[in-house]
Amino acid sequence: MNERSFPNLGETFFEERLPCGLLLRVTPKPDFSKTYAFLAANYGAIDTRFYLNGRPRETPDGVAHYLEHKMFDMPQGNVMQEFTRLGGSPNAFTSYAMTAYHVQCTQRWEENLTLLLQFVSTPYFTEESVEKERGIIAQEIRMYEDNADSRMYENLFSILYDHHPVRKPIAGTVESIAAITPEILAECHRAFYDPANMMLSVVGPVDPEGVADIAGQLLPKRDSAVSVSRDYGPPESPVPKEGRREARMEVAMPGFTVGFPCAESANPLRQELAGDLAMELLVGESSALYTRLYEEGLIDSDFSAGCEGVKTLAMLTAGGDSKDPDRVCDAILEEAARIGREGADPQLFERLKRSAFGRRMRELDSFETICFRMCQSHFDGTEYYDFPDLYRAITQEEVENLLRTVVVPERAAVSLIYPKGRA
Amino acid sequence: MVNKRIELLPGVFLTCVRSEKFKTGCLSVSLLRPLRREEASANALLSTVLLRGCRDYPNIRSISAFLDRLYGASIGTLVRKKGEVQTTGFYADFLEDRLALDGEPVLEPMAGFLCALLLDPVLEDGVFAARYVEGEKRNLIHAIESRIDDKRSYAVTQLFRGMCGGEAYGVPRLGDKEDVERLDAASLYAHYRDILATSQIEIFYHGSASSQSVARMFRRGLDMLPRRETVPFGSRVVKRAKEVRELGESLDVTQGKLAMGFRLGCTAADPEYPAALLMNAVYGAGVTSKLFTNVREKLSLCYYASSSIEKFKGLMVVGSGIDFDRFEEAKGEILRQLALTAQGEITGEELENARTHLISSLRAGMDSPGRMDDYSLGQVLLGAPGGTMADLADELRGVTAKQVAAAAKRVSLDTVYFLEGVKE
Repeated sequence: MNERSFPNLGETFFEERLPCGLLLRVTPKPDFSKTYAFLAANYGAIDTRFYLNGRPRETPDGVAHYLEHKMFDMPQGNVMQEFTRLGGSPNAFTSYAMTAYHVQCTQRWEENLTLLLQFVSTPYFTEESVEKERGIIAQEIRMYEDNADSRMYENLFSILYDHHPVRKPIAGTVESIAAITPEILAECHRAFYDPANMMLSVVGPVDPEGVADIAGQLLPKRDSAVSVSRDYGPPESPVPKEGRREARMEVAMPGFTVGFPCAESANPLRQELAGDLAMELLVGESSALYTRLYEEGLIDSDFSAGCEGVKTLAMLTAGGDSKDPDRVCDAILEEAARIGREGADPQLFERLKRSAFGRRMRELDSFETICFRMCQSHFDGTEYYDFPDLYRAITQEEVENLLRTVVVPERAAVSLIYPKGRA
Repeated sequence: MVNKRIELLPGVFLTCVRSEKFKTGCLSVSLLRPLRREEASANALLSTVLLRGCRDYPNIRSISAFLDRLYGASIGTLVRKKGEVQTTGFYADFLEDRLALDGEPVLEPMAGFLCALLLDPVLEDGVFAARYVEGEKRNLIHAIESRIDDKRSYAVTQLFRGMCGGEAYGVPRLGDKEDVERLDAASLYAHYRDILATSQIEIFYHGSASSQSVARMFRRGLDMLPRRETVPFGSRVVKRAKEVRELGESLDVTQGKLAMGFRLGCTAADPEYPAALLMNAVYGAGVTSKLFTNVREKLSLCYYASSSIEKFKGLMVVGSGIDFDRFEEAKGEILRQLALTAQGEITGEELENARTHLISSLRAGMDSPGRMDDYSLGQVLLGAPGGTMADLADELRGVTAKQVAAAAKRVSLDTVYFLEGVKE
């Protein structure tokens, strides 16, 4: 296996691409009792239109998430019980761009890993079980509908973009999931759960060769390769489809998120780091604007700002609860214009870089973060552990330029949740 | 791993867990208070006001600049409700000294900063700065009002408010809005001076530094701390419920929230506790529990159904998200599963799965500084400082199915709360 060390991060992993095409990374952590194994498919809620072996396919919204639920079924029953017997805690999630299955355990990691690889590579969907899941997922969708944060983000994405599938809720809608069948699930599994479209990251007191042996045995080379190309439609305009969307819910105070689409970037990781720095500079806790808004009672400590990305899409966002969201948005735009004109304090910029670097470094204490960041970056075509070098490379000018071009009134889209009963 | 507890000053204790496996060191400082309505809001407000500034860093901006220089160290307020004890204070986490690029220390300035926040607040006319107090009152009221935003936890808060109305436990963690409104800079400052002198203080450190060096930093930082006799704290336990009460509310929601409150019949201070913990796992915690496999999977009655234990006050709560019209059905099935557990209808597999799950979770907890902090504080409150998650894991190994059934028999239903939609 290929050993790769990152001395300035204090991290080392072993890497191998298996004959089946799966990329494997093992990060040994001999001082820990827990092992965390994370198997991710480069397939998420946005992958609804694609060409499978040249044939165009369009699937209902919510398939990736439905599939995630149904993968836990095996011919011998639900795999959850089996994990529990092994002392493993499995779970899974579906995001816009990724589906991931993971298990944490403090004993018998070999068996837990084996089971993880087995169930994710075994498509088993019966009419009866797929039908039964519909009610459970419908309940889950209703729960998101009652959740102000998820509603706010879904509304934001639906006004930021014109046609990109990120506009649709990750789990789909009660209506869209009605059309999901065992055949659709099987087809999407065949298309997107090809080992060559997946990555396995294991962190813990394990030996890398042992992990590679298990993965190699369980995921043999497939007989016929599949070719998939995704269709997200033509590039999105950097100007939002609509500027504003309001909803009313049972919440105590108005909540808002303002988003500004960035131009598509060849390096999404650099874009994210630079975008985060831009928003820190503009309205992070050490900025003049944050202090002013906080002291005027317009924001509270839950306010946050940064850069969010889904594949090549990226947007700068800021949001939280506020009694007057419009004043906060106006203030953000004014301050961005001022920094664009006058430039930022170079000392502040260097301090923010140091701070962002330290926080990303500390995040690596979490096995979940190591795995998630590694896989996400890999699917985006970047290497997450390049972040220290990228921080060194990102210039103040680059960040100021982001603010100057992106945080402008024409690009702003704001999603608001108002309490019920307010006139 | 070495777990050391040192009394720094009368009633001020430092617990150190030394470990070099993380990139992050962490510290927490907690003042221990009896949970009571007359001070719950003041205690919650106090830590937020103190975090607005101290003499050397008198505002958010200077504090942020200080934290940025220390490689993005973070600090926050930490207000906990543990049975009928409320704690207020701060936690901080920060890069380990060995990873700092230019070799300047991080731990020592952070420890000093925590002491300064506690002892050197920004004062105006001899009391807290009014603008800080008023601003944080607004934020706290907002946090209290926002409890309703998360319907799942809101249902549990409302359940306990009703169920423990006559007990200290009915007081919510952050107190209530009306009590916040009554506070001002002068009254909060007077309360602060009082609790600074009369509270037992617990400091927790996890990281690579030696306990002696951390103790030295805090002895120096806290040498001006006033000390008087400390106020006692603890939880009053009700072992059995009397008659069952039903409470309900209507809000504009699409999914109903059911919360059922039980008296557990013991607390973590009792020898029966490991059996109760295992019973909770068999009955309602995790994916092999009776609630998950029957109420959710087999009958599709709900999106989630799980039970959890409050170990200091001796409570168990079952929470479930259901369709409005399935209230009776879900409630009936939840109680039936508990009755089955009490009758000893527990397979060997259910028992071993639950045991493995709990032990695994405790072992993983030893890899989490945050959970160790919380556990070690809990042990202090239970009067057994020094007890570790590894000790509890050992005790769980010997629990039998019979003891689990007996633990379920000790459980009694007290109050049922249901949050339903607004009827058109």
